[in-house]
Amino acid sequence: MGSFSENIKIAFQSLFLNKLRSVLTMLGIIIGVGAVVAVMSIGSGAQDSVIASIQGIGSNLIIVIPGSSQEDMGALNQFSTANKESLKLEDVEAIKKYSRHVNGVIPVILSAAPVTYLDKGINASVYASSEDAEKVYNFEIERGKFFSKSDVANSANVACIGPTVADKLFSDEDPLGKTMKVMGRNFKIIGTIKSKGTNMFGQDQDNAIAVPITTAMNKLYGQKYLSMIIADTETEKDIDIATEEMTRIIRKQHALKSGDKNDFSIQSQTEILDALSTVTNIFTITIGSIAAISLLVGGIGIMNIMLVSVTERTREIGIRKAIGAKNRDILIQFLTESVVLSLSGGIMGIIFAGIIALVLNKYSPITATISPFSILLAVSFSTFVGLFFGIYPAMRAARLNPIEALRFE
Amino acid sequence: MAKNIIRMEQIAKTYRIGKIQVKALRGVDMNISEGEFVSIMGPSGSGKSTLMNLIGCLDAPTSGRYYLEDIDVSQLNDNQLAAIRNSKVGFVFQTFNLLPRLSTFQNVELPTIYFLDKIKNKSKKIYEYIENVGLKGKEKNKPNELSGGERQRVAIARALINDPTIILADEPTGNLDSRTGEEIMAIFQQLNKEGKTIILVTHELDIAHHTERIIYLRDGLIIKEEKIDKPVNARETLAKMPKIEDRINSEA
Ligand SMILES: Nc1ncnc2c1ncn2[C@@H]1O[C@H](COP(=O)(O)OP(=O)(O)O)[C@@H](O)[C@H]1O
Ligand SMILES: [Mg+2]
Repeated sequence: MGSFSENIKIAFQSLFLNKLRSVLTMLGIIIGVGAVVAVMSIGSGAQDSVIASIQGIGSNLIIVIPGSSQEDMGALNQFSTANKESLKLEDVEAIKKYSRHVNGVIPVILSAAPVTYLDKGINASVYASSEDAEKVYNFEIERGKFFSKSDVANSANVACIGPTVADKLFSDEDPLGKTMKVMGRNFKIIGTIKSKGTNMFGQDQDNAIAVPITTAMNKLYGQKYLSMIIADTETEKDIDIATEEMTRIIRKQHALKSGDKNDFSIQSQTEILDALSTVTNIFTITIGSIAAISLLVGGIGIMNIMLVSVTERTREIGIRKAIGAKNRDILIQFLTESVVLSLSGGIMGIIFAGIIALVLNKYSPITATISPFSILLAVSFSTFVGLFFGIYPAMRAARLNPIEALRFE
Repeated sequence: MAKNIIRMEQIAKTYRIGKIQVKALRGVDMNISEGEFVSIMGPSGSGKSTLMNLIGCLDAPTSGRYYLEDIDVSQLNDNQLAAIRNSKVGFVFQTFNLLPRLSTFQNVELPTIYFLDKIKNKSKKIYEYIENVGLKGKEKNKPNELSGGERQRVAIARALINDPTIILADEPTGNLDSRTGEEIMAIFQQLNKEGKTIILVTHELDIAHHTERIIYLRDGLIIKEEKIDKPVNARETLAKMPKIEDRINSEA
């Protein structure tokens, strides 16, 4: 039988002989594979960065936000119309006091505010919380220190700043010990926070400052309610029981009767991650089906062109058979050709997706990563398409009667 | 007496095209011994090509028995027939039937890639066989860069490369001018002298007279056989023929 490398060579020869036709035939595969790989790279890229940003907060977290949960969207539904002012500092104190399975618990107010130093200014995210945030929220201090229990107790005007703020306001200067203005009020910088990078929405998580919760409530916003409460547990096993405990404590704090709905919603980090991955999975499946259809169309294109090729080369098949090619040799020759055609399309599709990913990474907030898995998937898919849609034309070629084939004009 | 290499008993071949039946061969008995140089003559449509295809195992007879080197070919399946075509038969066609995209070297190489055994020093052998048919230096040429005579030489080298038992040539000079045809016949005579069994189909009597025996075919039956005591020697004929330059001069 003819050697494999010989078949590959023959396949490439005939592809190069009809360059335009080959490329047009491959187009369906290029687009199909390109779409699959690109979507997978965005899907997993987005998922990766959401997961990273949520996991970056800390681990084994339980998150409480105000407003009753609607269906399962809970924590995701930040725009729920219900009581936005239900969470209080006292709830945090109560959890600290009565819960046995919660490790740490912090109050959080999230907002954005202008931050200035001398003539320079920037609009930064303001994380207001307690001294425990360093642990629970995973703030890593690079230099200086995080604010202390007494800072919180005294509503001290102190702040820790993220790298972007440090860079924008102080560039070469050392920010430690300097006094900057937040919403026009003086804050002394006592620490700098390590970089956390960008989250999935393209927000610069480093463009942030952290201040004591009491200072924010009393001096900046004059508000008595929290954006959220974040708690963590020692181990993953404790999450469920701690969630129950916290629900009970907060309900009691809020004086809810047994029939009343929660005026807050509570969800664990894993539940949030699950909800997020469901969203991205739906996205992936939708685009994946579109890609599957273009692969199907591409496959039919390959079948069509292979049938044409078999007819065009009837005489060649006759000659090969006359000099001793077996049916199987002819079958493998044409099958190799359709696989080479489809696989080349697949590889071009991967390159195409790679370019899309590069462009997205450079010019959009989306991070796209092409995983080895998606390349493997694309390669095996296009091989499969080549085999599946090539088998019928190849069988037709293999079954040609050599005499008829030789008589073919 | 030399060994019988081909033995046919009452070979018949009927083609069916829809409802129409064409009886191309109607009971052919034929023996060819090893080392013979035989020609098959007959008018167009008499069944010469059909007979060649059967001898060469490209097709199976409708009825009758055919033994090639004592193998009952009528009993073999497609794959076994392909293996016989590859190792025991070398085809030379009127229309050359080279693969247009392949070079001389690649065309000659083609039968070896379907050959079951490994050939030692394969490319050396290919170069050697190309040189033997007088095409040294044209190894890289594509068929369209060769003259008709040169193409037929490539086809002959291809037919020989797996060292087959028989060479089958179906009107090999039909598309060539008489001098080039004579050159091809010289190659066949040389091969026959070296011991190859050759069967040649032609409808030109003077070509048939280069062989040792003529089998006359008509309407699918052998009607006559003729021994040629003194076959025409192609080499001598060529020596007497005007050279190409002379022909061009005389035409001018
Ligand atoms: N593949 C075929 N299908 C149908 N009829 C055929 C086929 N090959 C040959 N024939 C018919 O069989 C007869 C013999 O043909 P062929 O062997 O080619 O004759 P020759 O080579 O002597 O000219 C002719 O009538 C031809 O039309
Ligand atoms: Mg004929």
